[in-house]
Amino acid sequence: MKSICFIFNKPPYGDHKGRELLDICLMSAAFDMPITVIFKSQGVYQLLQNQQPDVISVKNHSATFKALDLYGVENILVESESLLEHNLKMEQLLPIAEAVSQDVVKHQIASSDFVIGL
Amino acid sequence: MSTLFILNQPELLDDCITVMQPDDALLLIENAVVIATKSSTTQYKMFVLKDDLIARGLFESIHDQSTAIDFSKFVELTLAYDKSVSWL
Amino acid sequence: MVTANPYTAQGQYTALRFANEVINKGHQLKRIFFYADGVLIASRLNCPPSDEINLTKAWAKLAIEKDVELTVCVTAALKRGIVNQAEADRNALTGENLDPAFEISGLGQLTEAMLESDKLITFG
Repeated sequence: MKSICFIFNKPPYGDHKGRELLDICLMSAAFDMPITVIFKSQGVYQLLQNQQPDVISVKNHSATFKALDLYGVENILVESESLLEHNLKMEQLLPIAEAVSQDVVKHQIASSDFVIGL
Repeated sequence: MSTLFILNQPELLDDCITVMQPDDALLLIENAVVIATKSSTTQYKMFVLKDDLIARGLFESIHDQSTAIDFSKFVELTLAYDKSVSWL
Repeated sequence: MVTANPYTAQGQYTALRFANEVINKGHQLKRIFFYADGVLIASRLNCPPSDEINLTKAWAKLAIEKDVELTVCVTAALKRGIVNQAEADRNALTGENLDPAFEISGLGQLTEAMLESDKLITFG
């Protein structure tokens, strides 16, 4: 089976890219494709806890990130260098991801059959 | 596996480079062709879409580190590399 | 996959040129999947000035002459007011605007195309 790697590299809600990328991710999981999800650069903000986008009339898709493991998506990675750059700590993020180095991110991208970002 | 990274926004260059491996290449298209007019410190092979340079009046300004290519070569590159990644 | 907003970004045009070249070189193009703002291309009511390229018609020409499948994601399309008659009826909308060269389908069509193809190229 071909593998896919999804790259979230933008913060949520200013556009719908995170939400629409997540939709592709869930669909690919339904096809049983091996999936890696990577949060890097400003994409690390996607995983911040306590998001309340209802105050700007936007559906909260961060809840769906929590459901990724129900869809069989277990390889969820956050780039440590990006966390450092944005002054964030793992404790501030949804407890679904593993912090990894940029080298691991590189390797994941290199070894996947398809890589999708929006 | 080798990857062809396709970049269309010049401001994303630094971000894109952080995920590249030695055998990977960069293809600059659309607004990202402006990158090809400057000398760069990247060690990666760089291609740039010729029509996007010409459209912007930049074809004569291309730095010799980059190779200008047409759409035919663009298609060939996507086949020559194991996969293509559009860095958006 | 094409996600570029048709008359905001250059990506639709780049994708069109690339797709034509893929076919000219004798390769098989399984499907063009329009997603996110890219779905806006599928409105037959897009009406750019007469001295500018009509991208919807250019895609339609490729689809008809070279038998290329143009698929629009239903979720992305409905949000943005791109509907065929069936979706208009289902959602009680007063009109439809899908260009006949395009078809509306689910996101599964993207995944299915990936499983059956060697390459996926994204134009955003």
